[in-house]
Amino acid sequence: MTIAVLSLVGVFLATYLTLYKLGYVEALACGTGSCEVVQASRWSRLWGQPVAIWGAGFYLAMFVLSLAGSLGRLAGSRLVGIGLALMSACGVLFSGWLTFVEIAWLHAICRYCVTSAGLTVALFVLSIVDLRKPAEAD
Amino acid sequence: MAKKPAKKANTKQFAGVLTAVALVGVAALGYVLTHRGPTVIIVDPKIPAGAAEGHLMGNPNAPVQVLEFGDFECPGCGNFATLTEPDIRSRLINTGVVGFRFYDFPLSQHKNTFTAHLAAACADDQQKFWEMHDRIYAGQDEWSDLVSPSMTDPLSIFKRYAKELGLDVSAWENCVTTQKYTAKIKGNQAEGVRRNVQNTPTLIIGNKQVNGVTYDQFKQLVDDALADIKKSAPDSARKPGAGRKGAAK
Repeated sequence: MTIAVLSLVGVFLATYLTLYKLGYVEALACGTGSCEVVQASRWSRLWGQPVAIWGAGFYLAMFVLSLAGSLGRLAGSRLVGIGLALMSACGVLFSGWLTFVEIAWLHAICRYCVTSAGLTVALFVLSIVDLRKPAEAD
Repeated sequence: MAKKPAKKANTKQFAGVLTAVALVGVAALGYVLTHRGPTVIIVDPKIPAGAAEGHLMGNPNAPVQVLEFGDFECPGCGNFATLTEPDIRSRLINTGVVGFRFYDFPLSQHKNTFTAHLAAACADDQQKFWEMHDRIYAGQDEWSDLVSPSMTDPLSIFKRYAKELGLDVSAWENCVTTQKYTAKIKGNQAEGVRRNVQNTPTLIIGNKQVNGVTYDQFKQLVDDALADIKKSAPDSARKPGAGRKGAAK
């Protein structure tokens, strides 16, 4: 359940960054850090689309899958648990790569990207913990 | 047996938390989308123009004159140039409503920006200032020191742009390396300082000075300036036919 809540937070965070990148939000509310530098860099796009859009898609998929794993027929399904763990592992790897780019190449840190990286790590840890739990008997 | 009611309560609690997060998220996104008005400073439109000329696009006699103080290495200026300016050009400048002038305002903290300003000013020698302006902003992520700190030779990239734009590259390069337009760039910059410009991009539209706007905000400010002009015009000029008579002469 915590996975669904954190994923929903991620959906909003990534949507905010996407709106900025697409020009609907004129400036990022960024008191410290260098969000605009990071957002203007070549690494802020992937396959022609803003990275934030892929992030929003990732969090949305995590949200839907975790809802499916919490409610209804698939509640407690091990397959859903494995899916969540695999997806969040990919998220951690990708966030790790982006954080490396920020620190090593851009010398700029965007607080929203760091928050997103923290969210993916939390999602990964929680999905592993869930996976290791014994299945609940109805 | 007691597990089922507990599970139901858990689900209710879960739905409550999700609803709360969704409400906060939607409210926050709604807020940033609707409260994005720029900070407006009222300036005296009668300040006489300094020695600086800026680079003009559009009609110098258009009813609304807009001044942009921009820095080529500033990401906000890059966003404005690539996302907002195309609409401004097609809907307001090309239709004769707005005359637009770009004033160089290179910020000292940006390492490669002065070279970029020289590259654009020298393209103006061959009547291609705006083409170079657009190319420099579009390629900001490949020459900007902010994005690529290892980039120490932006000139080689600007030289490629000059080739792409069909400039006489050797004349252009000679202009850049001899820093022919340093004084002009500094003149434009001094005009910005005189007008209390503190950030880039700063736009002066009518009597309002703003930082970074979306197209809708820009259009609103232009409409406000047009309304101000209408208000301050003498009654005779507003009478139907009065303007036409003059035009027919």
